[in-house]
Amino acid sequence: MKALYIAWKDTQRRFSDWKALAGMLAAPLLISALIGLAFGNLTSGETPITDIALAVVNHDEGELGQVYTDVLHSDDLAELLAPEEMDDLEAALQRIRDGELRAVVYIPHGFSEALFDGVQGSDFGSHAEVQVHTDPAANISPFIVRSIVEQVSNGLSSALLAGQVSALQAAEYADLLQERMAGLGEAIAAQLSQENFDTRTSRLSLNVVQTGESGPAFDPYSFFVPGMAVFFLMFSVFDGSRSILQENTRGTLPRLMTTPTPHSQIILGKMLGTFLTGLLQFALLVLASSLLFGVAWGSSPAGVALIMVLTVFAASGLGALLTSAARNENQAGIIVSAVSLTFGALGGSFFPASNLSGIVDLASRLTINRWAMEGFTKLTIGRAGFNDILPEAGILAAIGLITFVLAVIGFQRRFVR
Amino acid sequence: MTEAILQVQDLHKSYGKTEAVRGISFDILPGEIFSLLGPNGAGKTTTISMLSCLLAPTKGDALIDGHSIRNGAAQVKGVIGVVPQEIALYPDISARENLHFWGRMYGMGGGALRKRAEELLDIVGLADRTKDKVETFSGGMKRRLNIAVGLLHQPKILYMDEPTVGIDPQSRRRILDTVIELNRGGLTVLYTTHYMEEAAELSSRIGIVDHGELIALGSQAELTHLVGESDTLQISLEADGYDSAKLLDAVQKVKGVQRATLEDGQLLVQAQGAHAALGEIVARINKAGARLLDLKVDEPNLEAVFLHLTGRALRD
Ligand SMILES: Nc1ncnc2c1ncn2[C@@H]1O[C@H](COP(=O)(O)OP(=O)(O)OP(=O)(O)O)[C@@H](O)[C@H]1O
Ligand SMILES: [Mg+2]
Repeated sequence: MKALYIAWKDTQRRFSDWKALAGMLAAPLLISALIGLAFGNLTSGETPITDIALAVVNHDEGELGQVYTDVLHSDDLAELLAPEEMDDLEAALQRIRDGELRAVVYIPHGFSEALFDGVQGSDFGSHAEVQVHTDPAANISPFIVRSIVEQVSNGLSSALLAGQVSALQAAEYADLLQERMAGLGEAIAAQLSQENFDTRTSRLSLNVVQTGESGPAFDPYSFFVPGMAVFFLMFSVFDGSRSILQENTRGTLPRLMTTPTPHSQIILGKMLGTFLTGLLQFALLVLASSLLFGVAWGSSPAGVALIMVLTVFAASGLGALLTSAARNENQAGIIVSAVSLTFGALGGSFFPASNLSGIVDLASRLTINRWAMEGFTKLTIGRAGFNDILPEAGILAAIGLITFVLAVIGFQRRFVR
Repeated sequence: MTEAILQVQDLHKSYGKTEAVRGISFDILPGEIFSLLGPNGAGKTTTISMLSCLLAPTKGDALIDGHSIRNGAAQVKGVIGVVPQEIALYPDISARENLHFWGRMYGMGGGALRKRAEELLDIVGLADRTKDKVETFSGGMKRRLNIAVGLLHQPKILYMDEPTVGIDPQSRRRILDTVIELNRGGLTVLYTTHYMEEAAELSSRIGIVDHGELIALGSQAELTHLVGESDTLQISLEADGYDSAKLLDAVQKVKGVQRATLEDGQLLVQAQGAHAALGEIVARINKAGARLLDLKVDEPNLEAVFLHLTGRALRD
């Protein structure tokens, strides 16, 4: 009970400190806004994205497969895409994994035939599919490639169905590309006009199958806001953990220990204080970001709440552990700054960690940020449900529990004489 | 005889090789103001910390209201109020918020706590600054609030560790008056100081500590009696222009002089029949070429007692 009073006192003190608030709330929101603005330029035609490395693996013997190759190589897309042709699908996929390619467009053997068969038979089109394999780590390029392939497919099927290239449907991501896509319709039309199949009688459907991680509309805020929120959470929670050392040198901790308050309550209260402060900070960031930037935190509020609570739990546990091991307040300050920066960089607060590999990836998996970000991006970008984030939740809970217990032991040893 | 509220039995505390407290024993009776008088580093704070259950003694024990500091810490903490030497308050919240928080830590709450907080703000003269953050307070005001926190839960005994250090005479006067007032209301006080005037004014009994040991214990009259009939001469000299070792030696040889110290131009002489020796002492000062600035003859006091017992001056 007294632990709660101590925790609440710490929370109140922190939230009445303007300098602390600037670091806790203003900074992450401001930086998110700047990043959002930078990415917002995409839609105004000034895209920083060029030369997306992709390979076309065309195993189709007919003419329709060639349409994809030609469109992807068209002059209109020359700046945006850097396509090359490959024969071996496996080799191409390996190059995605190696980080050399962002996407592979695969047109399987018998694609044209399947389409035409589909037109003639009743079972039309079910076997004709184009596969787009994408780099799960990439955020924007998969959407662009998929969007283009989708438009080609739409064009193909409209041509086959209606005998003409209709006004291209506005693709979901067209506004990401705008001017670059403007010429796409003509490119496809030009290609199709050279083909001379009898489109009037054709009826078929066509599937675009894509592999790899993707989701609906990419919103840069959905990635960067959780990233910044987690990063600044670590910073302020770690910073808050140091207050127990400050209270020790300023005499309020010893004074607390002369009151009839059990030592365990005092230590728990201090740790609970950082937890509560962090939780409020994060909740405010979630609220503010959805109001200011319209960040959709996903369709599972319970999932967001769970990852949020456990991230704060893990961060305050680790902060307390680092503090309990530090010699003094200054040393603790240096340690926690170093750890929060390293964690931010490794754990995917600034860029997606999923394209890391080897030892760096392993190191990344040891950070709280990594699991928090995987959880949050699953929810925000992947539109995942509550059950999907349980593995991340479990890992965060484990980190929190272990560090919390070790910190309590460390503090007991240190402060109880 | 009344039962002692605090019994200290052969307390020891070592920090590694430093023996900060080396076997201190004393009793405090209910209603007393008991002072521990001693210079810097004597072991006063260390003793108070052990009696507050903050530090475990290396050896010995103390009973407070019948509870041992070794195995009855929880009960001890309920009956003691502690005013630490350093100001232990939260600077970024108000005086009232500080009292409310600390009251919670003493298990108080609700209307009783609010009422007690206002009462104490009044007692320590901060009723007009209740809403101000403590960081905006003067040193004296902080010290007063520091005392109020120790009084929240109506302790049976209040420990005050050098509560007047580093503040102006007015604030100091105010604090001393508050202590006297509280004691009249029945509060027992354990007071530490290195100002002999404070100990003399406040205390019913005084323990003199030096190097971790209690070197004398008694009422002021009992202690000054130790010095016998001798008086103390306080002589201020111009700081330089003479050989101080030689002068000291010369003064020590005057008939009736028991002890003498000379530091920064402050010559302290303890002498049997000081008035008789005075003429000779002044003559030797003149002969040594030192310029005399001020001269005072004190009746036996605690300063003299300390000098008598240790051969050193009690000053910071
Ligand atoms: N934490 C510690 N570690 C090592 N030595 C200590 C520690 N605390 C105090 N001491 C030593 O113990 C001795 C007694 O210190 P203490 O603080 O009890 O003296 P004090 O009488 O309160 O002095 P002051 O008037 O300066 O407050 C000193 O020699 C001091 O250096
Ligand atoms: Mg002291």
